[in-house]
Amino acid sequence: MIDMVLVLLFGLSSILGAMHRRLGYYSIMAVSAAFLVNTALDLTYTGYFSMIASTVWILVSFFSISYGERYGKWLSSMLALTIMGMSLILVSDNYLYLIVGWEVMSVPSYVIIGLNKSDSRPPFIFMMFSEISTIFIITGAAYAFVVTGTLAFQSVSSYVPMLLLSVGALVKMGMSPFMISEWLPIAHGNAPSNASAVLSSTMTLMGVYLIVRMMLISPHQAYVGLFFLIVGAISILFAAMYAYVSENMKMLAGFSTVDNNAAILAGAGLYLVVSSPTLQVFILDTILIMSLAHSVAKSGLFMSIGNTDGEFFSQIRAKSNSLNNIGTFLSTMSLSGLLPTIGGLGVWMLLEAFFMEAYTGGFTGIISIVVGSVIALGEGLATGAMLKVLAFGSLFHRPREMRHDTGAYAVLATGAVLVALFAVSTLMVNSAYIGGLPSVAVFNGFTILSKFTGVDFGLISPGYIIVLVGIFTVAAYYLFGKPRSRPAPVWNGGRKLNEVYTSYAYSNNIKLMLSKILRTRVTRSGQHVSIVDVFWAAMTGTGIAYRKMCRFVTLKIMNSSIGWYMVYMMAAFLGTLLIFAFAYS
Amino acid sequence: MSSFWFFEGLRKGRKTEKFPRAPPESPPLRPSRMKGEGFHECPTDAIAEGEWVQEKCIFCRRCEEQFKPTGEQDIFDVKRTEKILMRSIHLYRLDSGSCGACNTEFSAIFDPQYDAHRLRIFETNTPRHADAIVIMGIATDGMKEALDRAYEAMPEPKLVIALGACAVSGGVLGDAPLDRDMYDVEIAGCPPSPYTILEAIDRARGDSHD
Amino acid sequence: MKHYKFGEARGRYIGPAGDIQVYSEGLVRGESGFRKERHDHEHDGQLWFDYGPSTGGMLESVGISFLTPGELISETLVDPSFKKRTLVVKGKSVEDALLTVERINGFHAASHSIAYCSAVEDALGINTDAGTRSSRIVMLEMERVRSHLEVIKRLCEPAGFGVPHSQIGYIRERMSRLISSVSGHRYFFSANSIGSAAIDSKNLLGETEAIGAEFARVYDGLLQSKIFLNRLQNNGRNEDGQHLIGPAARACNRRIDARLDSPSMDYSGAEFEVPVAEEGDSFARFAVRSGEIMQSLSIIRNIAEGPEEEGREHDTGGSGEGAARVESPQGDLFYYVNVRDGILEDIRMLSPSMVNISSFEASMKGNIFTDFHFNWESYGIWISEAGVEFA
Repeated sequence: MIDMVLVLLFGLSSILGAMHRRLGYYSIMAVSAAFLVNTALDLTYTGYFSMIASTVWILVSFFSISYGERYGKWLSSMLALTIMGMSLILVSDNYLYLIVGWEVMSVPSYVIIGLNKSDSRPPFIFMMFSEISTIFIITGAAYAFVVTGTLAFQSVSSYVPMLLLSVGALVKMGMSPFMISEWLPIAHGNAPSNASAVLSSTMTLMGVYLIVRMMLISPHQAYVGLFFLIVGAISILFAAMYAYVSENMKMLAGFSTVDNNAAILAGAGLYLVVSSPTLQVFILDTILIMSLAHSVAKSGLFMSIGNTDGEFFSQIRAKSNSLNNIGTFLSTMSLSGLLPTIGGLGVWMLLEAFFMEAYTGGFTGIISIVVGSVIALGEGLATGAMLKVLAFGSLFHRPREMRHDTGAYAVLATGAVLVALFAVSTLMVNSAYIGGLPSVAVFNGFTILSKFTGVDFGLISPGYIIVLVGIFTVAAYYLFGKPRSRPAPVWNGGRKLNEVYTSYAYSNNIKLMLSKILRTRVTRSGQHVSIVDVFWAAMTGTGIAYRKMCRFVTLKIMNSSIGWYMVYMMAAFLGTLLIFAFAYS
Repeated sequence: MSSFWFFEGLRKGRKTEKFPRAPPESPPLRPSRMKGEGFHECPTDAIAEGEWVQEKCIFCRRCEEQFKPTGEQDIFDVKRTEKILMRSIHLYRLDSGSCGACNTEFSAIFDPQYDAHRLRIFETNTPRHADAIVIMGIATDGMKEALDRAYEAMPEPKLVIALGACAVSGGVLGDAPLDRDMYDVEIAGCPPSPYTILEAIDRARGDSHD
Repeated sequence: MKHYKFGEARGRYIGPAGDIQVYSEGLVRGESGFRKERHDHEHDGQLWFDYGPSTGGMLESVGISFLTPGELISETLVDPSFKKRTLVVKGKSVEDALLTVERINGFHAASHSIAYCSAVEDALGINTDAGTRSSRIVMLEMERVRSHLEVIKRLCEPAGFGVPHSQIGYIRERMSRLISSVSGHRYFFSANSIGSAAIDSKNLLGETEAIGAEFARVYDGLLQSKIFLNRLQNNGRNEDGQHLIGPAARACNRRIDARLDSPSMDYSGAEFEVPVAEEGDSFARFAVRSGEIMQSLSIIRNIAEGPEEEGREHDTGGSGEGAARVESPQGDLFYYVNVRDGILEDIRMLSPSMVNISSFEASMKGNIFTDFHFNWESYGIWISEAGVEFA
């Protein structure tokens, strides 16, 4: 009951936002906080997703108090509305609410993308893919209704509803070959950064939520798992590459989202494939930690990009701000899968899960080691992409300025949250995987153990990592003092120094090495043209080819020639006969 | 194929001279120490009060009625030595405004006849790794900044070596790039022969050739 | 001026000598050309990568700037002005000015001094004797051999070919010593004077024979070294070589050579071939230079037994305009002088290095940085003769 009241309160926020911009953001913050507390009071596994989403909403609306000044009241209102849709998805206990929530979430996002820029193509393409996703979800829900006789989320005996709903979610998450539905609205639609953060971190979280939700009530079908693993592996690799070479900062972040969600999807796929119950629970925890890490860090990244006042690396106008830089550093660390952030834990758990399954051998073992390796490779490229954002988006080339607005504080707070979550991560993991090594003074309860049988596989002690890093840093400083160094002037061939290394040059090696995949072209001026989303190119290419073929058929064959028409009729008749004959035999 | 050059190198045998432990095998007459007396109108004022001034001479042969080249190669002046560079010395070559002859004569000390590497003399590509800077050519506006920056970028201890008449005194072309007080080693000649360069660098680290 | 007249744009265009446009059979007054400027490429992600002016990898100080999106080079600028020297020659006697002219490019002092002396002789109406003329050809060809040896040596260096690098260094030093014994100076300084030249051809024939044999062996080895050839082939290709002169032009299948078409030097008794290659890349320039080494050695053999110099003193007190062009190791080298009462009033110089720079820049397009040194060395551009002005 309280759930639905809170959902409606988000609607109230939307109305408030339409009247007063800041009031709208403050109320989103307040309702999100209430939503967070309400879920925490009665915590279930799926409830964690509500907590993750509301954490992001709080941070983003706090960020928007300053950032939102650049846009009209409509943004505040529409953002509240799309959040309302998401909250409805999260609290829904039946397919009907889910579908309504899905649409309430999607429609305002078209408005946000469409209103901000005059170009009408991006919102339409985005809308098209969104509606494709809705069609899958409605079909899946209908199938579930046929099987169970009710619209409520209940155990279904068929895996088909899960598959259909998941495909709908995959489209929304921008998995290959639908990556365009993630990068296009964010990059070309020029969505405001706070909206990008909500779309990219929580809207895709809804996709993950949907898949997990269906997974828990559906029979385990290994082929579906295999499908998830393959789509995940392909997506992770392509998204990481595209992110690495992207010059548009938001596009980079968008591809990074695809990359992270693909890792989560691969985790979901592994869940469906593995047979060890211990490992299954471990994977569910992994999905949760990964989702948490990605959502929070990604909103931090988008907020940081918003603080640069630019779309492309070469167009950054804002001055550098130390608070923002620290927050960006931690967010990019988390997205790169590095400790001591929650993202590091997530990636560790995911890779552990894959390598544990690889230990079991057999076909799934081989698949696991392959997909696990692809994920590791993607994470490596993602680290490069994140370093690019950190270096060229925050640290380099710019004069510093201490600016006191919620924009910078929100990014800093996000960074702090990422470290804090890592510190308390032992509380979020199932108690079966919590242990310790008392023999080396690691007390019980401070260590996360990965295991697929009764025996431990690997371990990590978040609290100890943070404390030891801190202790060693302080000890080293007190023992040795400030690092001693002899400054020698930098030598630049005898000229004065000029910092000219660009983000473009940074990723150029990948552009050239992977030119076959990235379709790197060199124009007459020597400039490389790249980032052709090959899946989108294939789709449009097929569309154009189909149109050409139709024209050809119309003009050359069906050009009112009675002879050709006769031939066609006879061929069609024979073909139909043959099909029927085979069908009956 | 890679072994081809290995055996080709062996086939050639040893071509390196014993210099500076032994007298040079093929010392050029010009440049070399000029001996004689008399007065002559010298285009670079290299004859002052009847004496030959080595660092100004460009060996134009106009005074060769009074002053004869002897073939002696030791026409350099070491004002300060750095003993620690006995172990190895890395040189950074800086062309301030040379005609190119000093550049090629300097590179010749690494040719097999001289093989400066055997004396632990090396070239380096950045002044930040250099023990000594070898300046050649006259002062030019464009290279002044590079010269200053290179000197600043070098770590201590450092030697400043002026190579050739242009760098030491400006020769016939212009002015010296640095004040002569800055130079620790002055190598005369236009251009100095590889023998002179090699011995001067060796002496700059206090080697007495015993 | 015996061989050139102002106002005639006849023959092949060679290039500008200051405000004089030089053709193989005439001169035209007037400025030409423009220098490319470095423009801002901030917005398309490309960056200007500066190399030099002072760096261990380059023999002379020169500022190179590459415009690159990261690896492929889309534009290259060569700035020879860092070490630009302003040389005072005007107002000096023609004999004193020779001391400076020899030091424009010390490594090619014979070419510069012979071109300058020939221009002054043209201006003053001095006729040189047959012995002087053949001595000068010997000097030019010895210088050409050493210059090409230096280029090939420096081509081996970035390839990491230590043995051929040292072996050619050895041959080059041997050549330097031969030059010293023939001309009295390792760089031909003061071996030429107005109206005469003196060489001592005592050891000449035996040594050139030995140098030729040693070089031929190294050259054969290099031709079989695939790694070396790969670095040169297709590197720095010039399409037609229209604006090139010297060996770089001959590597584009253009048989142009001042030894063939300059009236300033008489090569009629030399009996030589002009090697050409078709590819126009670094390898073609390497091959042309190697061929020229062998040809020059044979010219020396053909000429060395010629008549002795008469050693006459010439009066340098006259007046007049003169011009001369010789084939220096890098291409046409042109001098124009205006002498009044033995004092140099005006002087212009066209150096092949200056002419070839823009073609080098164009040929770098599409290369990567590691190709640069091979391409640069193969052109044999000398900054000392490109970055110089007279006062």
